Amino acid sequence: MRLAVELAGIRLKNPLIAASGTFGYGVEYEGVIDLATLGGIVSKGLYLEPRDGAPVPRIAETPSGLLNAIGLQGIGIHAFVRDVLPRLRAHDTALLVNVCGDSVEEYAEVARVCDGAPGIAGLEINISCPNVKQGGMAFGGDPRMTHAVVAAVRGATRLPVIPKLSPNVADISVFARAAAEAGADALSCINTLIGLAIDVETRRPRLGFGTGGLSGPAIRPVAVRMAWQAARAVKIPVIGIGGITTAQDALEFLIAGCRAVQIGTANFVDPGLYPRVLDELRGYLERHRLEDVGDVVGTLQYPGEVVECKTGGQG
Amino acid sequence: MPANRTSSLVGREGLGGPYFLLTFLHPEIARDARPGQFVMIKAGLSAEPPLRRPFSILEASPGRETFTLFVKAIGPGSSALCTLPLGGVAQCLGPLGRPFSAPPEGTEALLVGGGYGIAPFSFLGAELRGRGSAARVFYGGRAKADLPLLGRLRAQGQDVVAATEDGSLGVHGRVTLPLEAHMDAVRRPQRLYACGPEAMMHAVARIAAARGLAAEVSLDPWMGCGVGTCLGCVVKVQGESDARWKYRCACTEGPVFDAARVVWPGESESRARAMAVAAPTREGERA
Repeated sequence: MRLAVELAGIRLKNPLIAASGTFGYGVEYEGVIDLATLGGIVSKGLYLEPRDGAPVPRIAETPSGLLNAIGLQGIGIHAFVRDVLPRLRAHDTALLVNVCGDSVEEYAEVARVCDGAPGIAGLEINISCPNVKQGGMAFGGDPRMTHAVVAAVRGATRLPVIPKLSPNVADISVFARAAAEAGADALSCINTLIGLAIDVETRRPRLGFGTGGLSGPAIRPVAVRMAWQAARAVKIPVIGIGGITTAQDALEFLIAGCRAVQIGTANFVDPGLYPRVLDELRGYLERHRLEDVGDVVGTLQYPGEVVECKTGGQG
Repeated sequence: MPANRTSSLVGREGLGGPYFLLTFLHPEIARDARPGQFVMIKAGLSAEPPLRRPFSILEASPGRETFTLFVKAIGPGSSALCTLPLGGVAQCLGPLGRPFSAPPEGTEALLVGGGYGIAPFSFLGAELRGRGSAARVFYGGRAKADLPLLGRLRAQGQDVVAATEDGSLGVHGRVTLPLEAHMDAVRRPQRLYACGPEAMMHAVARIAAARGLAAEVSLDPWMGCGVGTCLGCVVKVQGESDARWKYRCACTEGPVFDAARVVWPGESESRARAMAVAAPTREGERA
């Protein structure tokens, strides 16, 4: 049975990737779990320089979800390449860097630094963080800016370029097409949904930043819908993200057209979930007599549409 | 190294009201836990509430391969733990965080616990007594009902001074009242340790600073992951070689911090910096 997938020239031993911002720089989990069980790891968002991030409190639990405003606290790309990457490379898993910037030039510069560093498999371009005052959403909320950032990064690196799209837009397919036209190799869909949680006793937001980004199972149907829309809009592969905790959740994204998935908030709940999800995934493929996880990709039988399905009638 | 595993509940003791002692099977935590460390734990495998919760380790028994938590059922996470049936499972990662450091030889350790913040001092106090170090526990709360561990601490042979704000048990007043009285009466090298409400820890930090003593506090912000990846539990702390404070993860760089280096809410950052510079540096043996 084949779980390996290839995506934008990156070979993943399985389709499960740890999502940016939920797995630190990977090394935090050394010794706690076997990092080689993951298909890949996306680093915490990195600018050129270190960042303090947002004021506290930074996280609030909500029904089936987590609202956060961390504000991209990070060590900066130079410290990552110098101090973390050599250690991380010892693990047999694909390493992707989440690239941040306050300007188009900064995105390109971070990408350039990554280009010269051995061991990085690809770049995820963070144009969708809702918790910073500049950058982030300014690029992800305007298709022309999305195009500009992706084109600049494309010009700065030979590595695969994977913009991470925001769900906080009216039509994600517009952004998917803008990114693809600018030279993106794949898309990550989606980042967090902007939310607001209020402490009714103090009548203040529960987060120090004010609003935050909602993640976890609460957003999964929205995420599946948007990943599905993006996958239909472009020919490049889509990586699905949003509330995955089980293989069934991951399969929803794969069936909707995603080539791989990222697991985010569930890492906080149980960092040891990867072997379990992979077992469940194998069980599903066996039950449906499929040899290759790629055989389920894009097999959604949507009302009124005809899709070729390898195993036919099951499910 | 922390271990992540499914852990079964092997003991539960109700202490009255919302308070419980919960004992779980977990060989690695039982073997490796140090006073001041914590676990991230969640009852069962249900989706709600989403996150694990951090709890200080009250006691670890390497022989029985168990550890014990002191839990107050106040929200969905803690309530789910307290209603777990014997033999029921929890997902548990630990031991986590930086433990308390041991006091230098000949120094009296003063352990100040407020409410359920008393938990790590059962562990620390017992360990200090076991090695013949002088230690005294100051245990405070609003009322008698907030001090459910008092009998157990005394049964361990610990010297405990109780204080309640309503006077229903022990000294009438805040826990810092008997603490300062003791410090005035007993003239010997002392080190302070505090865990409890933020205002209490801040008060202990001020007392230590005023007397030129070292103090360690165990901070308790909301935590998402326990291993430094979510960056949700950061606190402002002035590092030894920093030009100014930095956000540090309470889960990995704490939860125990040098009280003089913490930038307390409402306190100016420059004052914390001055205190941190003035405070004696020490890299003691880990308690």
